[in-house]
Amino acid sequence: MSAVHVVESAEHFKSLLSADLTRVSLINFWAPWANPCVQMNIFVEKLSKKYPQALVLQVEADEQADIAESFDVEAVPTFLILQGHTLLQRISGADAKKLTESMERFVKPTPLVDPLSSTEKLPAGDLQAPADEAEKEKLNARLKVLMEQDMVMLFMKGTPDAPRCGFSRKIVNLLRDQDVKYSSFDILSDESVRSGLKVYNDWPTFPQLIVKGEFVGGLDVVQEMVDSGEFKQLVGR
Amino acid sequence: MGILIKDLETAIRDAFPIIHLEIEDTSSGCGENYSVLIVSPAFEGKTTLARHRLVNEALKKEIAIMHAFSQRALTPAQYEVQKADKQ
Repeated sequence: MSAVHVVESAEHFKSLLSADLTRVSLINFWAPWANPCVQMNIFVEKLSKKYPQALVLQVEADEQADIAESFDVEAVPTFLILQGHTLLQRISGADAKKLTESMERFVKPTPLVDPLSSTEKLPAGDLQAPADEAEKEKLNARLKVLMEQDMVMLFMKGTPDAPRCGFSRKIVNLLRDQDVKYSSFDILSDESVRSGLKVYNDWPTFPQLIVKGEFVGGLDVVQEMVDSGEFKQLVGR
Repeated sequence: MGILIKDLETAIRDAFPIIHLEIEDTSSGCGENYSVLIVSPAFEGKTTLARHRLVNEALKKEIAIMHAFSQRALTPAQYEVQKADKQ
């Protein structure tokens, strides 16, 4: 019997996840027309048996477009590892090795022997940070350069002409109303910038506004600063 | 399936001394998207970003089980000014 749940609707998806918000889940976004997906589905089936304590869900991306969109799934296969509603890891493409490593890392293995100690905590450190120091340094240097590309830099989902989320759309409108000149970066186009910036700026979401190389805030913060007059002072207009 | 509005209110009141609080469920009763206005002396002397980080930290567990969270964080003095402006 298969341990993989085939998701039939958004409600079905929500109820499966909500049944236990402490449980780690693996979501497999696939499409029947993509060959790598067919292979990976078999692989995921194996993983679901190896990690029975994880909730494994199979979502046909075209059919469940609203679920795919809510997680910004643009291509298949894409694998998400969640705990409750929190995203722990995103794997784009048929990377079986990375998928296995991530399952090992995030799903508590069923002990074969009685452990002397155990913990519910996830491994310490950044969930999405690169493993070694040199890689981390390189990423941070790149993020710094990106953040300083213009006096006002907006890291958003999509582009100012075509925002891909409501909050990103709102901040674009806000900046236009305030007549602010800025450059933007589409974080959906680059997974390492997307996850790297969340760590670098210690801010879990996008959009993120950077002024003079310094993190200012997300939509709410910028809105409040506009309301209080702080924003005008900051961008020097 | 999200969080109950009264549980969110309790969490906020436990974390901050509250002068005024408004919570709106913007997911049409699903408990998944919330918008809050918190008026508290705890925000005195802090930049907007610092206030928002404070709220994000205090409500980390609650925010983790929502889909979207929107906040405004005002000091009592700021709130009075905004109220007066509206009248």
